[in-house]
Amino acid sequence: MGLRGFLVSIAAAFALAAPALAQPVRTQNVETELVSARAAIAPGETFTLVMRQKIRADWHTYWVNSGDSGEQTRLEWTLPAGFEAGPLLHPAPQVEVLGPIVTYVHEGEVLYPIAIRAPAGAKPGTTAKLSVYVTWLVCDEICVPEEGTFDLSVPVRAEGADDPRGAKLAAEAIAALPQSLTPLGFTLSTDGQIRVAFPQKTDEANPITDAVNAGRIRKAVYFPYSQSLIDHAAPQKVTLANGQVQVETAPSLSFNKDNVEGAGLLTAEIQDNGAWTSRAFMFGNPPGEGPLPTMVAAIWAGEAPPPSNQSGAPAAPAGGMGLLTAIALALIGGVILNVMPCVFPVLSIKALSLADAAQAGTAKRHGVIFFAGVMATFLALAGVLIALKAAGAAVGWGFQLQEPVMIAALALLFFAIGLNLIGAFEIGGGVQNVGASLAGRAGDAGAFFTGALAVIAATPCTAPLMAGALGWAATQPPAAALAVFAALGVGFAAPFTALSFAPALHKRLPKPGPWMERARQVLAFPMFGAAVWLVWVLAVQTGSMGTVALLSLFVALGFFVWAGRQGTGWRIAGAIFLIATAAIVWRPLTTVDAGARGEVAAGEEVWSPARVADLQAAGTPVFVNFTAAWCVTCKANEAVALSRPAVKQAFADNGVAYLKADWTARDSVIADALASHGRNGVPLYLYYAPGEATPVVLPQLLSEDILLDAIGRHAGAVRGDLRP
Amino acid sequence: MMINRRFVLPALAVSVVALAGGLFLSQRADAVQAGAPAPAFQAVDAAGQTRSLAEFAGKTVVLEWSNDQCPYVKKHYETGNMQALQREATAQDVVWLTIVSSAPGKQGAVTEAEAQRLTTTRNAAPTAVLLDPTGAVGRLYGARTTPHMYVIAPDQALVYQGGIDDRNSADHATVQGARNYVREALTAVRAGRQPAVAAAPPYGCSIKYAG
Repeated sequence: MGLRGFLVSIAAAFALAAPALAQPVRTQNVETELVSARAAIAPGETFTLVMRQKIRADWHTYWVNSGDSGEQTRLEWTLPAGFEAGPLLHPAPQVEVLGPIVTYVHEGEVLYPIAIRAPAGAKPGTTAKLSVYVTWLVCDEICVPEEGTFDLSVPVRAEGADDPRGAKLAAEAIAALPQSLTPLGFTLSTDGQIRVAFPQKTDEANPITDAVNAGRIRKAVYFPYSQSLIDHAAPQKVTLANGQVQVETAPSLSFNKDNVEGAGLLTAEIQDNGAWTSRAFMFGNPPGEGPLPTMVAAIWAGEAPPPSNQSGAPAAPAGGMGLLTAIALALIGGVILNVMPCVFPVLSIKALSLADAAQAGTAKRHGVIFFAGVMATFLALAGVLIALKAAGAAVGWGFQLQEPVMIAALALLFFAIGLNLIGAFEIGGGVQNVGASLAGRAGDAGAFFTGALAVIAATPCTAPLMAGALGWAATQPPAAALAVFAALGVGFAAPFTALSFAPALHKRLPKPGPWMERARQVLAFPMFGAAVWLVWVLAVQTGSMGTVALLSLFVALGFFVWAGRQGTGWRIAGAIFLIATAAIVWRPLTTVDAGARGEVAAGEEVWSPARVADLQAAGTPVFVNFTAAWCVTCKANEAVALSRPAVKQAFADNGVAYLKADWTARDSVIADALASHGRNGVPLYLYYAPGEATPVVLPQLLSEDILLDAIGRHAGAVRGDLRP
Repeated sequence: MMINRRFVLPALAVSVVALAGGLFLSQRADAVQAGAPAPAFQAVDAAGQTRSLAEFAGKTVVLEWSNDQCPYVKKHYETGNMQALQREATAQDVVWLTIVSSAPGKQGAVTEAEAQRLTTTRNAAPTAVLLDPTGAVGRLYGARTTPHMYVIAPDQALVYQGGIDDRNSADHATVQGARNYVREALTAVRAGRQPAVAAAPPYGCSIKYAG
């Protein structure tokens, strides 16, 4: 092939590659692209195009019924003879509230499937030139009409062929359409108020009736296709009864009893495996003539099952995460846990014992046993968590620190370890067994115990990376959840276990000697510090009586330890004193103070869903801090970001209401709120801009800048006037 | 206890939504229904004079909500459609009040001088341009969009509210052949009839109300 031939074949290759794709067109506020699912079409086939629009942040375009203002996106086709185009199919809209004006909009990236039917007489070897003139209105506060013409050339062949990217986009677009429940029907009455009930036939299995009967549905909203049926801004009174979602609302001012059309969508959040998921259901086909994508037509006619991901994305941001991502995140999170302040003292002791063990040649053995201890504890915790959830309890990661008894036991344990490290007592053995005690010297049992203790101690430091993975895991079947927890354990145990297997390192470790005694005694103080922190956590859970109870136990434990080094009589007295004290303080220690929600400082309020709704209705921006006394990350964020003067000033300047949801003790409403954002633990920070129904989820590691940015940006974008 | 909880949460969610809706409703003016008496209002016009609906008792009144920057308003002014209707109406002794409810600093907000200049440059012919920077009049009438039109009969009953016509589009070409509901209503009132269409969906940009 000569140069010319080569160039021609290149050109031909481009010509073949190009047709299925019209270049994206950028207008002022939207990027629009038309993609064909087919690289080549056969005569007579119905194929799918996707119109992809990427809308500028904070701007929106409109649904079929735009609501009180705005205008739906329109298409005007210019097609070869015999070709037919179907309607633009919309995903479910969102509600946009601007003062007294309510509109139904699309935001972000939107995929619309459109069907094109080629005539049976289309000639193979020709090229079909499809051209469409699209107009849309895009608004934030102001509105801009935009338009574009899109040309797409698709070759006609005897056999059609998929375009890989186009086919994938089309499948995605079709999966994002509302699930059709049209065959089940709905009831509509327009006598005074507009009353609709979905579905009409409740005796056929369907997701709405199932969810209503199980009490697992909330936030239902009715979107009629007709602009003249309901008053869009009027409240929708939702009743869940008889396997139906019943919606009652006021009629539109332009309601016309001679032209009533109730078909439309019902959107709601449905709880599925613990997670609240946004769902959209269609009752009646959307307006518009012409062919439908084959897949859509089959689903709507009830001849094909809805796409597998029809269940929609969880209402939470953690939605898109797959098992592998969750496992990878958990692994990384586990490694990071090693350097968290909760775990470091425990591991230091172990590291100290490594020097000893290396000398004795048992390092590898201890490494493996430590690994087993970590894994066993993680899986046991995960097992309990899964079992509790299955039983319907409102628990999440960190639940083990929500029981005051657990906190008290941990505090006593840390105190005891501290006493041991400082030399107040020995569990057999003398100075040469430095680094021994609980974690080291007891050999196999000690190594196992260190692993277990490290895991328990690590809980409050649950690294931000892990929150997403754990939140995801909690919504999965037990096997997947266990896999994620196991990955977390592997990541957590790996660094130390690897150390015990590194002979090169063993040689470098300093020889055991008197220095180890000093190191050991110094380590007692972080242990006492950890105990003090746990006392404070308990104080938040149980109030001052619980604190006094725990401190009394400290005294009794101290006496018991001292007595243990005296004569037998003393020992018996010490034991009796300890047991008696425990018996006396048991009640105050285990009584969760219902009022205990941490201190609510000036300028803060206690969180409740109703309070958020009130403030939102009043147009007040709301910041919610989901926290717990035992959550170290939460406390760090409060210190470095939330309590900074600049942040407090910004909250005050913008009139932001600061609500605090304290999860130190168990609270099912808070657990539910966390779950609705795909989380299984704290911290969680939400910012509700005025007029925005959905909050912005802020990062788990806050900084002054992140907060100022969030408040400033939304205060700017919203400009106050969205408030009624 | 476990069983109760399953129902408590959905019930809570429903009541929160209902509560939020109720609060929302209490904050928003009830829109005026065609056939009801038109609510009385006062506002300052572009000449600085206080005008009221009461002073026009006995005459047919058209209310036109406007925002000169809005593409839908532009459609009707740049094609001359709105001005023609204004001249047609005022020639028949109809009072035409153009009302601007944009809050100061927002799209469409104008000072008295700017309002007068706009009337000149747009060659418009309203009886008066009323400035409603607080949005009080707009909220009183439940005005949603620009344009949003109201026709009030001489007995001060509201006979039409909604879009100026049946073409929800900013495309200038759609003015041709549109069904103009305001013209129909004015014709009906002159003939002593009720208009065939008493309400149609208003269309256009949302009104940029004060927060």
